Formats: sequence, structure tokens, C-alpha cells
Amino acid sequence: MRAMIKKELLQLRRDPRLIGLIVVMPLVLLILFGVALKLEPQNVKMAYVDKDHSYFTDLIKTSLWTDGYFELYEVTSKAKIIEEIRAGRAKAGLYIDGSFSELLTENKQPHVTFYVDGTMPSLTTAMKYQSASTTDESVTNDMYFSDPDAPNIVIADTPFIMDTQVLFNPDEKETWFFLPGVIGVLIMQIALILTGITVVREREKQTLEQLLVTPISKTNFIIGKLLPYVLIALLDFYFILAVGWGLFELPQPSSHLLLFVLALVYVAVMISLGLLISLFAKTQQQAMFIAIFIIVPSILLSGFIFPLEAIPEAVRYISYMIPFTYFVEIIRGLLIKQTLLIDLLYAYGALLGFVVVFVTGSIMKFRKTL
Amino acid sequence: MIHAAGLTKCFNGHTAVNAISLDIAKGQIFGLLGPNAAGKTTTIRMLCGIIEADAGEILIDEMRVAQAKMGFGYVAQSFGQYEELSVWENLQFYAQMYGVNDEQRLHLLLQRYALEPFKDQMAGALSGGYQRRLALACALAHDPKILFLDEPTAGIDPVTRKLLWDDFYQLSAQRKTLFVTTHYMEEAQRCHQLAFMAAGNMIATGTPDTIKEALGEVKVYTTQTPYLPALHHVLRESEGIVLINQFGTELRVIVKPEVTLTSLENIINDVIDQPTPLQISEPNLEDVFIALTQDKAVTA
Repeated sequence: MRAMIKKELLQLRRDPRLIGLIVVMPLVLLILFGVALKLEPQNVKMAYVDKDHSYFTDLIKTSLWTDGYFELYEVTSKAKIIEEIRAGRAKAGLYIDGSFSELLTENKQPHVTFYVDGTMPSLTTAMKYQSASTTDESVTNDMYFSDPDAPNIVIADTPFIMDTQVLFNPDEKETWFFLPGVIGVLIMQIALILTGITVVREREKQTLEQLLVTPISKTNFIIGKLLPYVLIALLDFYFILAVGWGLFELPQPSSHLLLFVLALVYVAVMISLGLLISLFAKTQQQAMFIAIFIIVPSILLSGFIFPLEAIPEAVRYISYMIPFTYFVEIIRGLLIKQTLLIDLLYAYGALLGFVVVFVTGSIMKFRKTL
Repeated sequence: MIHAAGLTKCFNGHTAVNAISLDIAKGQIFGLLGPNAAGKTTTIRMLCGIIEADAGEILIDEMRVAQAKMGFGYVAQSFGQYEELSVWENLQFYAQMYGVNDEQRLHLLLQRYALEPFKDQMAGALSGGYQRRLALACALAHDPKILFLDEPTAGIDPVTRKLLWDDFYQLSAQRKTLFVTTHYMEEAQRCHQLAFMAAGNMIATGTPDTIKEALGEVKVYTTQTPYLPALHHVLRESEGIVLINQFGTELRVIVKPEVTLTSLENIINDVIDQPTPLQISEPNLEDVFIALTQDKAVTA
């Protein structure tokens, strides 16, 4: 047994790249997650309509601003608020009717509507909690004694009522929160592992040597390696989706065509990324590690579980370098928010960009020599 | 048909192949000989274009390697076919990589290498000998003019080895050029042209007959004796001894011309009571091979 242990350790020591991965990967991820993973969102974009424009409504807005939690910007109508959230430009909204001050002073408890994007579970909860603080005494205190000369006529416990409206997922179904993203995670895992070993295996089994002698061009080699896996992963995508529809009442997409385009492009991103991994790795073991190195931060930094708004600005650009981020954005848009294509175009464009970069990278990295 | 000049390859500062040159005519069976780590595989891989040479020029059929790929086939030292594909699927795959779809031709290849009965068997399940046949069939699928074979008979039984060599002669008769690396002497004997490599250098070239001249002026004596360590020791210590080679009960001693029969006899008589008389012989390829490589090792 000692001989066996010694042999295994010696083998590990001879693979410096693997040691690098074992040591560097946890270190990088730990620091990254330590810095990036926060539950408290910052500067959540909030579209608001304030028809009252009074001292009182300013109090509400200021309280939302000051914690650094929300970043408010004005839009023209109630419909616009929902549109902004649907498009993904805002995650929250605030509507204050023109009669606010009037009703407040008459102690008729005016209603203020707070809109929340219901597609982000943790964000929704956090925002609801945060918005509730606007009815705290510190804010409402000034409403009771707004006019030092006037008698305090406010009787109600709270001077105004904050109605929270969870958009797109009014019942806050967990399956709606997570399932669309889970499909992407599964496809990412399948695709990266599937193609991650494809070239390394040929290298290890020494079939690559025989293959390189043939007159096949670099492009044909890469495309020939990609296409079958793209097809398989695409079928897998729909298989997983079908199970999701069958078992968990996953909503139907706003457009089947757009969903198909998403599936195709996303699968192509992951398969080509897998191939790129395979070209960089020297052993199948290394390929697996690199794949995990990509999968874990993808899940945690993409806004799939933790809101993007909770990731500090300084590291958020990493989130935008993760293809899965755009997948999450689009799939939620298509299945739950019914987002318009125009508002998803940049995300589609980003995914397509990844395909181009990864495929070109693969062709450039691939050498027709051993 | 195959031309290389000044071919050099270094790995991590170690020169694996040092400025070798060769010219091989059409229809020849060219044998590249050398001990392990002499640089044979590196050379054949450079010629096939799967390792980039650091320096030197290669022309295959008057073309650069990348342009000449349709014109040659290659059988690597290790089994490079797909284990999880059947014999037929492997053959078809390699044919199609060269744009060949002629099934008739592939069937003939299967017959030629007695692979027809194993057509649907997975390549991984074949015995070593049949894997080698499959590799050859795959390399020939596109009917190349040149065949590069890296130790094609290593680990192959003598019967199959003979069959393969019969086949190589047939291919040569069809005006195909064969480039074979080997360290089997009886195979070297079968080649039309030979080149000896040691420690990355080309140290001798010629036909199996003329290459013996590379040893220079030597005399070969043989005697019948079992292996005696003491005798070997004494001989090694003596002046003018080029090589001592024991074949079973035959001892071959290759000496420089100045060593006389009597002086050698005297050395042997000191160790053995009643030695069988020394016979004068000719150097064989193995003598040349070992003498040249050990020479190289000494000077290097």
C-alpha cells in the first residue's frame, strides 16, 4: 500500500499544470467569491414615476437612495416602469400618484406602488425587505410633523401604504426562479465535459498522431469536432426543457423561434469553449479541472443565484465575461418576463461573440503538429 | 521521392536529430536503423509533417510536406486507430479523410490483410498483429505513393513479420516508396537502402552490403564457446578489439587489422583450456550496428 501511495504522489508531482490547477484554482475562486458574493444588492436600478413631486414623496425617494441600495431614475408613466423592468434596464419600480400629498394631509393613507422583478429570487426578497424600511418611523416622522404650525392630524399607524407588486412571477414560484437557469447549468456541464476531453483523449490514445498526418484542414478539424456535439447538446437541451415543462409547470416561451436560437447559440458557445479547453489541456484530468474552474464561477457570478447587483462594480465585469450570464438574462426574458427581442439583442450578440471568439481561438490554438 | 537536407530538431535544449540529410528514390525500401532514442521516430514524424523541424528542408515527391499529404501514408509506432470503431469503420474513416469512397478498394485491402473476417469487430479487440494489419490497411486506403512505417513489426511474431515484409516487397514492386524504421537486423537486411542513426546523427548510409564498409578495415573471428565473463573481460581489456559479440555458443570478435590471429588465440588460450580454433568471418549487420552505436557512445 505504501508503494501505491508513493507512486500516486510521484505521478501527481510530475504534472505541474495539475498542481497549478489544484493550488491556484481554489485560491483564485476563494478570493473572487470572497470579494464578489454579497447578498445585499447595491445600486439596484429603479424606475420611478412621481406625479406628486412634493416634499413628502421626496422623503420616500431619498430614503430609497440613501442606503445606496437603489439608484432611481425617472420615467414618464406607470406602463413605462413595467416596460423598463421587462427590458431588464431596471429591477425595481416606484409609482407615486399625483394625489399623494393631498391624501396624506387628509390622513387618508395614500398608496404607493413598489414594483419588483420577480425573476430574481434573492433580489426580490431583499428588495421587498428594503422597501419596507421606507415606512419606518425615521422616514414617516417628518410626515406627521410636516408643518410645525399645523396641528398633528395624522392618526393612522402609518401615514401611507406601500403596495409591493412582484412582476412576472406574482406567486414567487421557486421553479420559475431557478429552473430556466438550471437548464443552462446542465447544458454547460454536459457540453464542457463532453467536448473538454475530445481532443485530449485523441492525444492520450495516440489517435491524434495518425489523424494529423491526413490532409484535413484546421478549420475542418475544428468544425468537424464541434458540429456533432452541438447537435447532441441541442437535443439534450430540449429534452431537459421538455422534462421541465412536464414536471414543473415551466412557462412556455414568448417565442419558440427565439428560444431555439438561444439554445443553438448557447450550446455552440459551450461546445466551442469545451473544445478550447481540450486544446489547452494536456491530460483528461486537466481538462476536467479547467471545466470545473469555469462552471463554478459561472453559476455563482452570473446572476443566476446571487443578483448581479450584489456583486461589487469592480468585479462585476467578470460577470459580463461569463456566457452563462447572458443565457440567464435571455431565458428569463423569454420564459418569464416576455421581454421584447430588441431588449435581448445585446445578450444574443454577446453569446454570438463568444462563439466567434472560442471557435477562432480553437482554430488558432490547434496545431497540425504533435 | 523523399528528400531531406540538414534536418534538425531540438527538445528542451537536447538535440534529438542533428542536421541529417537523406535522398530516397522511388520504389525503394529505405530502412532507418538505430538504437532506441537515436532520433528515428522524430525523423519520421518530421518527414510526415507532424513535428516541425527546427531547421532543414523536406521535399516529398518534390512538394512541401503540407502539400504532399495526399501522396503518403503513415503508420505510427503505437496503435493509432479508434478502438471503439470497427475495423470497417476505421478503414472507411481514414479513406474518407482523403476523400476516398471506393468501397471496392477498401474490401480488397481487407482481403489483402486478412481482415475480412474481423470486419465488424471493434479495433480495440483485435490482437496486436491484426491491429498492425489494420493500421497498414488504413495507411494504404488512399493508395499513397509513399508509406512511412515507424517500427512496423515491433512486438510482432516472426510469422506475421514475414507476411508483412512480403507485403512490403509487393508494395515496392508496385513502385511505392517505403520508409521503415527498425532495430531488427534481419529486417535491415531486407531493405534496399539503409541509414544508421545514433544519438541524433546519421553515421552511415548505404545498401546492406556496402554499409559494412562503415566499420572501416576490420577482421572478424568466431569461435565456439559458451558465455564466459572472464574471457569477455580479458578481451575488453586488450588492445585493438572493436567489438565482442556473443551469439549463444558463438563468440564473435571484431578486431582492428593489426591484431593477428595468434595474438587473439593467445588471449583466449589464457582463459580457456581447449578452445575451438578461431574461424575468419565477415562482419554482419548487427556487428556494424553495435560497433557503430557503441563507437558513437564512446566518442560522444
